Amino acid sequence: MEDAVRTTGWSTDGRLATADDRALVAACAQRKPGAFQELLSRYRRPAISLAYQMLGDLEDAEDVAQEAFVRVFQAIPRFRGQAAFSTWLYRIVTNLCLGNRRRKRATVELDAVREPIAPDSPSRQVTEVLLTRQVLAAMTPDLRAILLLRDQEGLSYTEIAAALRLPLGTVRSRLSKARMAFRQIWTDLSSGGGETAATG
Amino acid sequence: MTCRVYEEQLSSYLDGELPAARAARLEAHLKVCPHCQAELDELGGIATRLRAASSYLQVSHDFDRRVLRAFGYYQVTGWTRPTKSYLKPLVIAALFLLGALAGVWHFFTQPLGPPPAWQPQPVMPVVAPAAPAAPIPVAPERGRRRR
Repeated sequence: MEDAVRTTGWSTDGRLATADDRALVAACAQRKPGAFQELLSRYRRPAISLAYQMLGDLEDAEDVAQEAFVRVFQAIPRFRGQAAFSTWLYRIVTNLCLGNRRRKRATVELDAVREPIAPDSPSRQVTEVLLTRQVLAAMTPDLRAILLLRDQEGLSYTEIAAALRLPLGTVRSRLSKARMAFRQIWTDLSSGGGETAATG
Repeated sequence: MTCRVYEEQLSSYLDGELPAARAARLEAHLKVCPHCQAELDELGGIATRLRAASSYLQVSHDFDRRVLRAFGYYQVTGWTRPTKSYLKPLVIAALFLLGALAGVWHFFTQPLGPPPAWQPQPVMPVVAPAAPAAPIPVAPERGRRRR
C-alpha cells in the first residue's frame, strides 16, 4: 500500500525525516514544505490504530484520526511544547474516541470475515487478533483507553497522566485494573469458545 | 505478604514504576511463587497482543491526502498554495481611473459655449396676410318696384 503523497512524486526533506518531533513541530509552525507530511507519516498509523482499538470500526477510526490531525495542525503555531507531540496527539485522539457518538459496539464474530486484516495471516494469529479486539470491546472505555496508551502506544505514566488529565496515582491504579480486566475477559472468552462480546 | 498484595504491584512492577524496595521484595516473592510469576507473564503478554492486533490494520491509501485537504494544505502535489490574486481588481480599478481621466481631459480641453455645429439663424420678419376688403354696401335703386 503506497502512501498517496508519495505517488505524486513528492518526497519529504531528508533533514525532516531524521529530525526529532520537537524540531518537526517547529518546522510545521514555520510552514516548512514537507513538515506536515513527515509528521503525518510518523503518526498516521499509531493514531488510527489507537482510534481503531478504541472504536472497533476502521472508518470511524480514520475519521477520528483525520479530525485529530487537522486540529493538531491548526493549533501547532500555538503549541508551546509543554508535553510531547505524541502525548498531545494521543490526548486528542482519545478524547475524540471517548466522545464519539457514532461509536458502534465492537462486536466481533471470531469466525467472521475480517475485512481490515491482511488475507495471508495465519489463522491462529487472526483468531488471537479477533479475540483481542473482542476483549477490548468488552472493556469500559476508560480502562480501554489507558490500556492502549500504555501497552500499545508505550506512553509513560507521566505522559498518560498528561494525556488523560489524571493524577499519577489514578493512572497507576486504573492501569492495573485495566490489565486485570483484560486478562479476565480474555480467559472468559477463550474458555467460552469464541462467543461474541456481550458486555462493554 | 499474601499473593494478593503482590498481585496489586505486578502492573507497576511491569512498567518499572515500583519503588526499589518494593520491587526487590516482589522479585524475591516471584522467585518462589509460580502463580504470581505466571500472572506477571500474562500481564506482559497483553502489550504483545495489542500490538499484534494493531499491526494487521490496513490504513486507507488516501488518508494523508484527505487530512491535508481537510487542513487546506496545498503542497500535496508539490505546488505552492495559490495566493489570493489581486490582479483582477487592480485592472478594473486602473481601467476606471483611465476612463475618469479621459473624461476630465476631454472636459477641460474643449472650448466653452455651444457646440460649433450650431449657428444662430437670421430671424425672418413675419408678414401677416392682408385682411379681406370690406364689402362695399350697394344702395337699393329708387322708383322701381320689385316684382
